[in-house]
Amino acid sequence: MTFLITCPNCGPREALEFSFGGETTRRASPSATDRELAAALYFRRNVNGWQTEWWVHQSGCRAWFLAERHTTTNEIRRTYRPQDRPRDEEQEAAPA
Amino acid sequence: MSERLPARQGEAIRRDRRIRFRLERRTIAAFEGDTVGSALAAAGVTITGRSFKYHRPRGLSCMTGSCPNCLMQIDGIPNVRACTEPAREGMRVERQNAWPSADRDIHGWLNTFSFMMPPGFYYKIFQHPHWAWPLVEPYIRSKAGLGRVPQEPDHRRRRRINLHPDVLVIGAGAAGLAATAEAAKAGASVVLLDQGREAGGHLLGEASSTLRSALAREALGSRARFLAETAAFGVFGGGLIGASGPDALYRIRAQHVIFATGAVEGSAVFPGNDLPGVMLSSAVHLLLHRYGVLPGRRAVVLTGDNVGYSTAWALKDAGAEVTVVDLRSDGGWPEGFPVFAGATILSAHGRRRVSAVSVGTVGATSGQKVSCDLVVNACVQTPSTNLLAQAGARLVFDETLQAFLPDEMPDRMWAVGAVAGARSPEASVAQGRLAGLEAAAGSGHPVDAASIAALRSEAARSGDPIVLPPEASAASGKQFACVCMDVTAKELTTAAAEGFDSMELLKRYTTITMGPCQGKACMASSQRLCGAITGRSFAETSPTTSRPPWVPVEMGTLAGARLTPRKETTMHDRHVAAGAEFMWAGDWRRPHHYTTPEAEVAAVRNRVGLIDVSTLGTFRIKGPESVELLERLYPNRFSDLAVGRVRYGVMLNDEGVILDDGAVVRLADDEFFVTVTTGNTAALERWITWWNADWGLDALILNVTGAYGAVNLAGPRARDVMTSLTDADVSGSAMPYMTATRMAVADVPSLVLRIGFVGETGYEIHFPSAYGEHLWDAVMGAGRSHGIVAFGLEAQRILRLEKQHILVGQDTDAESDPYEAGLGWMVKDDKEDFLGLRSLRDLKERGPLERLVGFTAPERWLPPEGASVVREGAWVGRVTSARRSEAVGGVVGLAWVPAEWAADGSTFEIQFGGSHTIGTVRIDPFYDPRGERLRS
Ligand code: FES
Ligand SMILES: [Zn+2]
Repeated sequence: MTFLITCPNCGPREALEFSFGGETTRRASPSATDRELAAALYFRRNVNGWQTEWWVHQSGCRAWFLAERHTTTNEIRRTYRPQDRPRDEEQEAAPA
Repeated sequence: MSERLPARQGEAIRRDRRIRFRLERRTIAAFEGDTVGSALAAAGVTITGRSFKYHRPRGLSCMTGSCPNCLMQIDGIPNVRACTEPAREGMRVERQNAWPSADRDIHGWLNTFSFMMPPGFYYKIFQHPHWAWPLVEPYIRSKAGLGRVPQEPDHRRRRRINLHPDVLVIGAGAAGLAATAEAAKAGASVVLLDQGREAGGHLLGEASSTLRSALAREALGSRARFLAETAAFGVFGGGLIGASGPDALYRIRAQHVIFATGAVEGSAVFPGNDLPGVMLSSAVHLLLHRYGVLPGRRAVVLTGDNVGYSTAWALKDAGAEVTVVDLRSDGGWPEGFPVFAGATILSAHGRRRVSAVSVGTVGATSGQKVSCDLVVNACVQTPSTNLLAQAGARLVFDETLQAFLPDEMPDRMWAVGAVAGARSPEASVAQGRLAGLEAAAGSGHPVDAASIAALRSEAARSGDPIVLPPEASAASGKQFACVCMDVTAKELTTAAAEGFDSMELLKRYTTITMGPCQGKACMASSQRLCGAITGRSFAETSPTTSRPPWVPVEMGTLAGARLTPRKETTMHDRHVAAGAEFMWAGDWRRPHHYTTPEAEVAAVRNRVGLIDVSTLGTFRIKGPESVELLERLYPNRFSDLAVGRVRYGVMLNDEGVILDDGAVVRLADDEFFVTVTTGNTAALERWITWWNADWGLDALILNVTGAYGAVNLAGPRARDVMTSLTDADVSGSAMPYMTATRMAVADVPSLVLRIGFVGETGYEIHFPSAYGEHLWDAVMGAGRSHGIVAFGLEAQRILRLEKQHILVGQDTDAESDPYEAGLGWMVKDDKEDFLGLRSLRDLKERGPLERLVGFTAPERWLPPEGASVVREGAWVGRVTSARRSEAVGGVVGLAWVPAEWAADGSTFEIQFGGSHTIGTVRIDPFYDPRGERLRS
């Protein structure tokens, strides 16, 4: 992969320093139906466009953060720490 | 050494520093600052190699590293461009592709038999009869190719460097230097690259060095970073630019890119245009002004605009006799030389060097003979647009300059200088300054709008129309369109007649533009030839698709340094001294055994053993919500774990699949110590920190693997050894099984866990890793009278298998859930939530389909891991671990079998590679089934 990612802690670095955590998803609740469970575990939006996703600065500060990346151009318009997530996304969880 | 011209300002050579190197059997004298090529020219060596196909003699042509003529084997490295390679004392230089020597190459006969080698000859000629090809092929192969591949491993250290400046400037000629100066002055971070050792580009060949030194001072005196001898070779996805420098690969991603890549000269196409002594004007300027070498005494200069006259003047000033052949017929050329107006060079003559040219009007087959020892092409300038094209610029034909020039540039990219059609240093400088200011403004630095406006007018393209030489000469003889691959104009005509009539097809069929120069020297002339053959104008042809690499890159540079990470614990040297055989465990080197695994197993079972377990992943988790974090990460319960107690835990993903297992110690109300499997540490760190980040819990996770060392002391006499190492009470009542205590062990502050992976009384001692050797020695010393032995990984595997302790990843896979793996007792599914809870509900309801069970089998055959479990001829399961056990007497192992056959005492067949045996299920551990020894 060839682009820069701005770590909220360390600044702009090569994408090679990071590991990808996939698009943000919502975990199934303990009372979820089978359909909801399957959707949470195995289905992704896989958007062609802007996507909020997890990255970890593996070869740097080793912290997880969120990035808004365009999946076709690899442009990243925003990165931020999980505690700075907008409220409505608070329930979004990492995929398994 | 033949004479050099008088010294002049700005020259590259240091006349007070003499060096010598070897050219085959000759000694060549040179000055420091010479390139191999300039030293050879000064020494009168005109043949620098033999051509690829016909073994024709070739000499220096461009002096800028843009043609194939001077490729040499230097200090064992093939295909080094001698004209730009610095001459060094004692270096060994050999000319390539020639035997016995470039001066008298016996394969020159190929030249005579060239009619046998039409374009695509290797597709045609030697294919019939079929039996002949295997005989001919080795010979052809030995004749083809360039240089010899070095046989020794390459030990140079190669680095890979990532840069991301505000502005990247490619090319340190007039335009690039000016751009750098402006952008850096405005405050932008700038990286400037150039292939050459020195900044200056075309200015290096100028008689006066004033402008060059002023620009260089301005640009390089700034905060800009100048990478000399570093060539950008390609533009890749996302704007990544690759560049190769001395033993380094640069990966550059800049906010703004300024391409100041200049132009390369091309040769007119006429018979003999490849003879030594036929040069491009760049070579003449550089030889004269940088190296003090007069490349010929009687020169003929071919030009189509006034720029060529500067070359003529430079030669004349240096004492040569000069004749100009001007392609233009409409007068206006400067006085001072005999001039053939409206004429061209029809052909060049000579055997090992040019001795005369025929001059006449375009289209004539013969003309006037002019004797000479130097022919200068000052007539074709090809803008180096390859990187621009790769970056997505649109190229459009310019009628005035007779060249393809960038028209629309992608966002935040500029083309400046000769590549953008500038024909004077002044225009280049103005274009460079303008782009530099715009790039700086784009990266948020304040710039003066008025100076931008002023530069705009200066930067405009201007100049008289250029007249190019004819596509080919009407005179007879071999005229080369591409000197790299030895493709002649006639061969192109033949290929076009066969139907390969577009540039892309011609390229693939004749290999034109595919040689070492990558089309630098020949793209324009072959485009024009192709157009002429197929009745199209230059403007109607188009260059072939530009692909990286634009300049040659050494394989080693791309491969980078060879790195094999290898971790050793702080006790490693002790293991080496004890004669351990090592094995890989992830990136770690761990002792497999010291003596024999069997002897080590017996010692642990009967006396006491010590194993280095520093490679275990260890984490400290601290904070008010660390309990909450563990409660959500594990199916186990931890809220009721008392301080000082240890609990075995298993981690699941949300599918309910086992990820890892290990010990969890409560150190304090708000602090835990967690161990994970060696090879899983990095992945588990990501896993735990990820969920913590997502849940936003107030807990801090610290990976202390490596910061702590650890040993496991185990065996019936472990307590005796322990007692002599510490003042703490380590008795079974004070420190029972599954507890942890902080204590000094051999004076080292340690955390000691009473756990027993191997099934004996055990103490797992975690301590600051710097004390590794001290602690190892102390424990081995204290254990000597008890018969202590060091044991390795293999003994530990046998010992744990006798206890049916599973290894995650070995005995489990991506489908193993805790119920099927026999770990269901850990799942507290009455907890509010944890990873895997929802999935486990379904799995529990469904009931296990398979079970991981222990089995015993007869001694005689040890099934390998992965052996099949078979019932009534059908595959129903697999063996995951198996070892011979002395304690049990026979083979013991673990296997996945269908749940209905998992009852104690049921039997199944195990097969592998024609051998088979019978396994008998054993639900309880084979050794010490009640765990009395473990707990004692
Ligand atoms: S003379 Fe060296 S590359 Fe052209
Ligand atoms: Zn970081």
